[in-house]
Amino acid sequence: MKKIEAIIQPFKLDEVKEALKGIGIDGMTISEVRGHGRQKGHKEVYRGQEYNVDLLPKVKLEMVVSNTRADEVIKTLAGAARTGKIGDGKIFVYDVMEAVRIRNDDRGESAL
Amino acid sequence: MATGDAVRALAQRTAEVDRVVTEAAEGLLFPAAATGLAVLAVGGYGRRQLFPYSDVDVLLLFDSEKLALASKDAIAAFLQRLWDNRIRVSHSVRTPMECTEVHDRNTELNISLLDQRYLRGDRGLYAKLLDKLPRFVTGNRDALIRNLSQLTRERHSKYADTFYHLEPNVKETPGGLRDYQLLCWLEQMRTTQPSRLGTADPSPELQQAFRFLARLRCYLHCGSGRDNNVLSFDAQDAAAAQWKLADAGHWMREYYRHARAIYRAAMRQLEANEAHSSSLFSQFRDWRSRLANADFSVHRERAHFRTPQALDAEPEVLLRLFEFVARHGIRISQEAEQQIDARRAKLRAWFAEPRPIWPQLSAIFSLPHAPVAIRAMHEIGVLTIVFPEMEKIECLVVRDFFHRYTVDEHTLVALQNLWSLRGAQELPLKPYGDLLREMQQPGVLVLAVLLHDAGKGTAGEGHVDASIRLATAAMARIQTPPPQQEIILYLIRRHLELSSVMRSRDLFDPQTLRDIAHRVETVERLKALTLLTYADISAVNPHVMTPWRAEQLWQLYLMVYNELTRELESERIEVEASGPPKRLEFLEGFPTRYLRTHTETEIDEHVALEERSRKRGVAVEVRKLESAYQLTLVAHTDRPGLFAAVAGTLSSFGMNILRAEAFANRRGLILDTFTFADPTRTLELNPTEVDRLRATTERVITRKTDVRELLRNRPKPTPPSRNAHIQTRVAFDGAASGTATLVEIVAEDRPGLLYDLASAFSTNGCNIEVVLIDTQAHKAIDVFYVTAAGAKIDAAHQQVLEEGLRRACEAQP
Repeated sequence: MKKIEAIIQPFKLDEVKEALKGIGIDGMTISEVRGHGRQKGHKEVYRGQEYNVDLLPKVKLEMVVSNTRADEVIKTLAGAARTGKIGDGKIFVYDVMEAVRIRNDDRGESAL
Repeated sequence: MATGDAVRALAQRTAEVDRVVTEAAEGLLFPAAATGLAVLAVGGYGRRQLFPYSDVDVLLLFDSEKLALASKDAIAAFLQRLWDNRIRVSHSVRTPMECTEVHDRNTELNISLLDQRYLRGDRGLYAKLLDKLPRFVTGNRDALIRNLSQLTRERHSKYADTFYHLEPNVKETPGGLRDYQLLCWLEQMRTTQPSRLGTADPSPELQQAFRFLARLRCYLHCGSGRDNNVLSFDAQDAAAAQWKLADAGHWMREYYRHARAIYRAAMRQLEANEAHSSSLFSQFRDWRSRLANADFSVHRERAHFRTPQALDAEPEVLLRLFEFVARHGIRISQEAEQQIDARRAKLRAWFAEPRPIWPQLSAIFSLPHAPVAIRAMHEIGVLTIVFPEMEKIECLVVRDFFHRYTVDEHTLVALQNLWSLRGAQELPLKPYGDLLREMQQPGVLVLAVLLHDAGKGTAGEGHVDASIRLATAAMARIQTPPPQQEIILYLIRRHLELSSVMRSRDLFDPQTLRDIAHRVETVERLKALTLLTYADISAVNPHVMTPWRAEQLWQLYLMVYNELTRELESERIEVEASGPPKRLEFLEGFPTRYLRTHTETEIDEHVALEERSRKRGVAVEVRKLESAYQLTLVAHTDRPGLFAAVAGTLSSFGMNILRAEAFANRRGLILDTFTFADPTRTLELNPTEVDRLRATTERVITRKTDVRELLRNRPKPTPPSRNAHIQTRVAFDGAASGTATLVEIVAEDRPGLLYDLASAFSTNGCNIEVVLIDTQAHKAIDVFYVTAAGAKIDAAHQQVLEEGLRRACEAQP
């Protein structure tokens, strides 16, 4: 099993969710996060006062999928989140040792 | 159940359970304790309102703890028998003494005894309890009411203090069965005498509401086979079908009508009882009675009509009542509500005619307690008398995963959230609070919030289009002036725009910002639209406006604001095809930025000022804003140092300049505005000083007075401590604007600093286009957009200029 964690542009969220739903992935955790990588923030002057816009709003998606589906999910996710500009985000992939469904103690991929 | 008569069904269920409980008690309890034990029904069971799957509350009243301990096995067998008979029993074992102690942590026990009912056992023991109970209630009335109030407030706050939930809990939500019971308990406590327990006799309206909710709760219990009290969307559909109504939404309105009756009665009682038990509050209340005026008296923290007949002769008094509420935050008395209610049809007919009532409504919408007044108008039904356009959204359910409230409640919550920004002291909400304070006409924004979703009740038409149609009709009737109408309609038309952009567009794409800037056109509209968006999103449910989203909206505002205001010279206003000739002549050739940053009223004032200036070549106006002053000057010919001269004049009067802007049209007409604070309240305390400031500024502009002479006499400031010394910083930015160089200066603030800086620009051959000024304690942060010979400033020129500016910053006052 793989955990896929993606940081994407907020305005791409609906598109990404739809694309994932299209390949049968509709379970995920979504968080509102802030950060910056190469897309550095900048300063805005408002009424003579500087506002740092250095932490940019991003959305984090997390999901765990079976090994066999990981590549397809990553490809779909990247395809839907891409604009081609700096700031599109990143995808991180981790190995997952175990999954447990709390309700009935299902283990492994059947708990996904 | 089949008849729909819930009260009868509950009594029947109670009788069945009585039979099982008494049989079990006789068979299992009394053999172990023939005397010294009585079995009582308490709570809902005690008052014969046992719902199909509710807990059955039984009190085992023992003469002594010793006997109770000795009967342990018998109690266990008794309870087991009840469980075996599928009765979910909730029992307590007490002595009469324990029943007549205040239990701060178990208020439910004290309260449940108000509904106690004898079932079986030692009548003498029961008589002992009955003898003590009324004396206990009368002796501890305040403590009992306090505990009950606290429980109720906590329960209400779990449901955001409103009954307008889309999927309400018919027992716990405000206006539910628990609140009906609260009313009964308060009445019972109030009428209890030391010799006997009191009774409650709710009004027919409340009894009808109880029957409706009781039937509903029975239905929910039977439908789900458990103690389920949540009226989910599915349950609403099924219940509407059971009630033989085609539309669940329509049926829910019936639910809200009953819930509202209970909630309002409960809140009135709760507040009256809380007030009664607080002496400090009584003192405050007495003080508040001094707020009375010719139209209204204040008694026990409630506003009353002095002469209710005034409503017949002069229906506008109704608006004055709500203006009184909006000003003082005082609620309306029950009598006044009834007096309004009795004249409902007449008032509706009067307000249906076109009347010039916008000034009064705008005043209500702008006062400190505006949301309290508007909510009171809604609760009493006055809002739909004044705006019948809102009738269709009353109690309207819009089914959607995110929305928690009905459409009318969403509107009221939006207003409350908007108003609460005024007190915001911390990020990310503080800047929104500043924005709201900057709004020159908050009434315009409030009316836009009130009507933005009015069209949601119209089927077959987009809700925005329907809202615009309804708002147009409403504003024509209340005679809102055209400029205000225009902005209100704009806000309603675009109220979804910013949230849609945040969701679906790249905020850091310059094209996105240009598109929005192009659509909003003016800073005034952008501010109002940002605040409306904040209010609208935050009223969807209490968790939607996260700090993340608030920051995102603020960043969007900031970037669009700068997009609107940075363009200085590239676009010039071309004469429009229509409009008053004087206005067209005045506007021609000003940067388009001028239109974006000024309201219609300001432009009209500037046109009038320009006309006044023709005789002497200059005209100056000083007016008071909400928390500052504004000096506007029109001069027919520019001259080097003009801006510096005016800045110096203001400094010589001890004024602190907060913001300044300079404009020129193609004919060379100069229009400068200075917004300034009057830290020593000179102008407020000496009105003649305003005239002197105006005259002195005109003399300085026409060179009849030397500004340097004036500055020699200015007051000396207190120098800041050494530790607080601010390091001077001068930075140039050639990329921020298409036509000007941005010069940012951070320096130690002092009177006359702006004059010295402006003089430095002037002596170095620079023209100041715009100045943005901010002062934080002793730190001045000034941003100048400057040009030299109509172009940006080159590197060599920047070097010379920087030296001059640094000298100005570090010069001694």
